[in-house]
Amino acid sequence: MASTVIGAGITIEGEVTSDEDVIVSGTLRGKLVAKDAVTVEHGGVVEADINAGPVAIAGSVTGNISSNDRVDLQNGAKVVGNVKATRITIADGAQFKGNVDMDV
Amino acid sequence: MADRDQTLIGSGTFVRGRVTGTGDLEIAGRIEGDVSCSGDVLVDGSGLVGAGISARRIVVRGAVKGDLVAEDAIILEAGARVVGDLKAPRIAIAPGALVRGHVQTGGAGAARPRSAAATASRASSASAAKAAPAAAAPARTEAKKAAPPAARSAPAGNGGKSSTHRSSAGASGASRVGPPPPVVPVLKKGTKAALHHKKR
Repeated sequence: MASTVIGAGITIEGEVTSDEDVIVSGTLRGKLVAKDAVTVEHGGVVEADINAGPVAIAGSVTGNISSNDRVDLQNGAKVVGNVKATRITIADGAQFKGNVDMDV
Repeated sequence: MADRDQTLIGSGTFVRGRVTGTGDLEIAGRIEGDVSCSGDVLVDGSGLVGAGISARRIVVRGAVKGDLVAEDAIILEAGARVVGDLKAPRIAIAPGALVRGHVQTGGAGAARPRSAAATASRASSASAAKAAPAAAAPARTEAKKAAPPAARSAPAGNGGKSSTHRSSAGASGASRVGPPPPVVPVLKKGTKAALHHKKR
């Protein structure tokens, strides 16, 4: 169960810091820092750097993604930016432009 | 998912910036920035909003420091702490809710706080005007006793002095706005000009 949900109609301009899970179905511009999982749902738009635990993306992300766990780019995801994580999956149908850094 | 239309800022979440949009918003965390939303906004007991909220309907159980403006209603439940003005067609404040600010119910009328301030200043100036003759009266009688020909100029000079006193006092105490109207004695034609010349 997610603790913070940014709904489909909502736009946040600024910095979001959370100790909990964050689900983005709306729009977030600025910066996103979460200790736990971040999910960008289909239709969700993030124009921000993401710094989090496990990250799952099915929406659109413009910005660098840094995770201390894994990053999953799911079908329908559109990501422009660098990804830094120990594990990464890019599903068939995901669009991705950027560098991958897997700490090897 | 219907659940996804509802936005929830969890108790461990801190948002620094503006939150805008449609749909409902539940705040259990902290927001430092304006919230404007076409749906309902609920500030939970653990919620803390450091700026204004504007929405269709606002329910507060937590703390808000900023103005609340609702199209439909504002409801402050027990435990609510609000520092800021409230404006909505309907406002409910439950016992146990704390409010510091201007509360206005009824339809749109953004000029209300300003007109209220104007009437307040008018009232205070009126009271100052009432007080002014009382203060000036003994001085006038004294002056009359001392020098009858100068009696007419004395109150005006005295009034000017006392008004400067009052305005300096008014600067420290906010209740008095500006100097009170001067006490103007009936003057013959030309004496006023002579007075002005004397002052300089």
